[in-house]
Amino acid sequence: MSSWPLVLLVAAPVIAGLGSLVVQQRRAIEVLQCAQAGAMLAAAALVAGQIIAAGEASVGGFLQVDALSAWLDLIIGFVGSSGTLYAVGYVGEELDRAHVSLKRYSQFFCLFDMYLASMLLAVNLENIAIMWIAIEGSTLSAALLIGFDRSKAALEAGWKYVILSSVGIALALFGTILVYYSSEHILGVSNEALRWSQLYRVAEKLDPVAIKVAFIFALIGYGTKAGVAPMHTWLPDAHAEAPTPVSAMLSANMLTVAVYAILRFKAVTDRSVGPEFAGKLIVGLALLSLAVSAIFILVQRDYKRLFAYSSIEHIGIALLGFGIGGLGVFAGAWHLMNHALAKSTAFYGAGLVFLRHDHKSLDRVTGLLEQMPVAGTAILVAGVALAGLPPFGLFISEVLIVAGSYTIRPEVAYVFLALLALAFATLLYQVLRMVLGEPGEAGTALGRQCRIFTSAAVGINIVALGTIGLRVPPGLETLLASILKIFGVGMEAPR
Amino acid sequence: MMLQAITLVVAQAIVLLAISPFLVGLIRKVKARFQCRRGAGVFQPYADLAKLFRKQPVISTTTSWIFTATPYILFASTLSAGLLVPTFISQTPMNFAGNIIALVYLLALGTFFLILAGLDAGSAFGGMGSSREAIVASLTEPAMILSIFAIALTAGSTNLSTIVHKTALMEGIVTDPSPHLMALAALCIVALAETGRVPVDNPATHLELTMIHEAMVLEYSGRYLALVEWAAGLKLAVFLTLIANVFAPWGIATTLTPAAMGIGLVTYILKIAGLAMLIGTLECMFAKLRLFRVTDLLGVAFILALLGLVFFYILRG
Amino acid sequence: MSLFSIDVGSQLVDLGSALLLLTCFAIVAQRRLSACVDLFVLQSVFLALTASLVAFLTGIHHIYVAAALTIVVKAVIIPRILKQVIEHVNVKRELEMNVNVPTGLLICGALVILAFFITQPIIPLGFLLTRDSLAIALAIVLIGFFMMIARKKAVTQVIGFLVMENGLFLGATAAAYGMPLIVELGVFFDLLVGTLIIGIYSHRLQDAFDSVDTSKLTTLKE
Repeated sequence: MSSWPLVLLVAAPVIAGLGSLVVQQRRAIEVLQCAQAGAMLAAAALVAGQIIAAGEASVGGFLQVDALSAWLDLIIGFVGSSGTLYAVGYVGEELDRAHVSLKRYSQFFCLFDMYLASMLLAVNLENIAIMWIAIEGSTLSAALLIGFDRSKAALEAGWKYVILSSVGIALALFGTILVYYSSEHILGVSNEALRWSQLYRVAEKLDPVAIKVAFIFALIGYGTKAGVAPMHTWLPDAHAEAPTPVSAMLSANMLTVAVYAILRFKAVTDRSVGPEFAGKLIVGLALLSLAVSAIFILVQRDYKRLFAYSSIEHIGIALLGFGIGGLGVFAGAWHLMNHALAKSTAFYGAGLVFLRHDHKSLDRVTGLLEQMPVAGTAILVAGVALAGLPPFGLFISEVLIVAGSYTIRPEVAYVFLALLALAFATLLYQVLRMVLGEPGEAGTALGRQCRIFTSAAVGINIVALGTIGLRVPPGLETLLASILKIFGVGMEAPR
Repeated sequence: MMLQAITLVVAQAIVLLAISPFLVGLIRKVKARFQCRRGAGVFQPYADLAKLFRKQPVISTTTSWIFTATPYILFASTLSAGLLVPTFISQTPMNFAGNIIALVYLLALGTFFLILAGLDAGSAFGGMGSSREAIVASLTEPAMILSIFAIALTAGSTNLSTIVHKTALMEGIVTDPSPHLMALAALCIVALAETGRVPVDNPATHLELTMIHEAMVLEYSGRYLALVEWAAGLKLAVFLTLIANVFAPWGIATTLTPAAMGIGLVTYILKIAGLAMLIGTLECMFAKLRLFRVTDLLGVAFILALLGLVFFYILRG
Repeated sequence: MSLFSIDVGSQLVDLGSALLLLTCFAIVAQRRLSACVDLFVLQSVFLALTASLVAFLTGIHHIYVAAALTIVVKAVIIPRILKQVIEHVNVKRELEMNVNVPTGLLICGALVILAFFITQPIIPLGFLLTRDSLAIALAIVLIGFFMMIARKKAVTQVIGFLVMENGLFLGATAAAYGMPLIVELGVFFDLLVGTLIIGIYSHRLQDAFDSVDTSKLTTLKE
């Protein structure tokens, strides 16, 4: 089996990013970015195809892809591509309005691509320590992207993000060291002791206490990066203040990558001490995240923050699925993909609104469908999907998680449903209020080029969301089945 | 046997009494050198003491017997404390008389009387010095006791001679360096505070706002002042001896042969002279802390000593 | 190995770890920013020495590389960046802290006990030579974490982060005999870039807010 799609997947953003920094010319950068988006999408699809056909792929023992990695490749590849198109439109508009210089424009794309590249690298690595390095790389590039506007608020958000994430990621490294500490006695003082596949193989022989402590550190550490309550405080600020293409990538990709890292540790922990331990911790944190986000969604007066808290909610839901295990793993993975698509669409819409009105106040935005059809459609479709209504995939995964948790612990299902209903009502109300009614302020009209690129990004996302919403395509079903195998049975096997 | 013991006690007393003015002089000399001054000779404190002993003391009419008794009590208690610490031979003959805890309380007794005497004359400065000394003393005491306990625990005895003797012979005492290190750091801070050295008090100043020890003894003159000054020197010598011999007892005489005792005496003098020079250097490098920051420093000492204890229990646990 | 018995070796490694911990306490108690940086340099030097000692005693040579990198990155480059930042932001000392020094030290003492408590069950897993280092490493990580919470100035928060990193490195080298070299290199690279980025942020915060007091960052609220 050829390994070039995998290499292309990781290399395309690096090349395009460095290229953008070098050429410093608008048209060339646009062409480069579009090519990058296409290459990334194609490579992700090819890699996923290989995994569906063969089960796994690797490059020289360095990059290693199994079903879970391929799932993440698909998410990041797809949303990354549409995000790149959107960024070309969005930052291009900023350039037209002379908000950013050409130099800063090319810097933005370099950072943006490095950010995508580090995330793609993180999910395709087999070595947990190098995965840590890649995730830290994404933290650092994201830190610069969040503060890109250099306004007071953006700097503050960036500072909060970089400090909290650094602390979180340092704790995650301690967890990684602890895994190594317990595995090196079995696998030797070498890279072998840090490989997933090897860790899975010898998990039963690892010291259970060390693995438990390591998991707690990894959960807190990567949980901070995933925006899990109570470590979520950076998330709304960062999502609200970052340039909107970055907000979309933070929410759709980076949170997902952090969840992926937690899942890798969970898989080892489950094999070592049984699924109960990690499951309970994850379910607890997931419910806490749901509660916190449901309350804050209720009081939001800022539409970007509204979607940011909704991200906390949905990451909580996905984690809840993984926590209860069994059918929940299926639902959790499905939820991650649909959330990534829906949330990036929502941010694409929000970004257009921000470009037009230059404020983020919920109360002052009405009648979007009439005033800005593309943004209005994006926010409406994404809002309906995020609220968990059919015909979108999030509905299926939420139903599955309710069913899964009910068979194991009915009280979890009740709490989950109550919090879900609260967030559902508020989010739907706010979204409908934004898109319906009479338009308020006129704002500044967007340039033609911006409209073309952003409409393309929104269109791709909505088509994908609708296509996979109705039924799970057979290829993805194979992937999901393989992911289920990685995690084995649930907390208490329902069947 | 008895005679030998008495000889050794007397010898130790003489060594301590003789070396303490030298240490004070040495510190002053080092400081002078760092400040690009020639400074007085290292033996100047001997001449000062001799001069003070010849002078007639002036005693305020408002004072009670405590004022006149204090210099003798202070001198006697500090010297007895000094006799409990092994200096150049590891088995001090006086070790039957008390252990590490007695040492702490003998020193505290002297401090207590000095505080009383400072208040006794009824002058504003004396009272201020006394109250400050009381703060410092009450904060150093816990740190000192804890750090000494940490050492006693690792050695398995509260008897200083036993601790030093065992450590000198490397009889499996120092199994874990961490508790020792913490205790050492704590004891160094305690020593600086108790002997009124720089980050806590400045022995070279007579500035009202900052002085502690100097303010308390402001009313003394003549032979009383000589005794108080000598006692202060002795206290410094006791602390330096404690630090040197508990943490680095190597070279100390573990047998009573003349050769071993000779080597012991020489290494002892070298060690504490080295420590005195270190203090002189530190005093030039750091500024005195404000009085309200002194609590921070002593807090550090207390925590370090506490950690020493914790480490001991956990590592042995 | 022949030069030292394993017993003396483990004592020396313990001594190194304890010195690292001691400098942690000194940093917590220190208010002057440049002195904090100097103490961090001292800590990094102790760390490099401890790592070299482990490398020497175990014969795992790539730890020497990590130790050399520690000196270059943490004792030379990063302090230089930090001193520049201090110069730019023109803050010499931290007058207010969220927690005063003695309380801070007490909390640190409690953190050390907590670290020992957490690692107690897994310490017997480790190599004989470096038994206690894991606990001390975790203690240093926790103290660094605490420092980031307790201090208000951006620069001291960075030092807290770096102290955390030192703790992690001690955990990796002393407790686990060193991560593979590629991992060490990557971690150092990330650390360097991270410090640079945080430094850039401090500059921009100073320019935008006229202060690096992070308690003044209150624009973003619910």
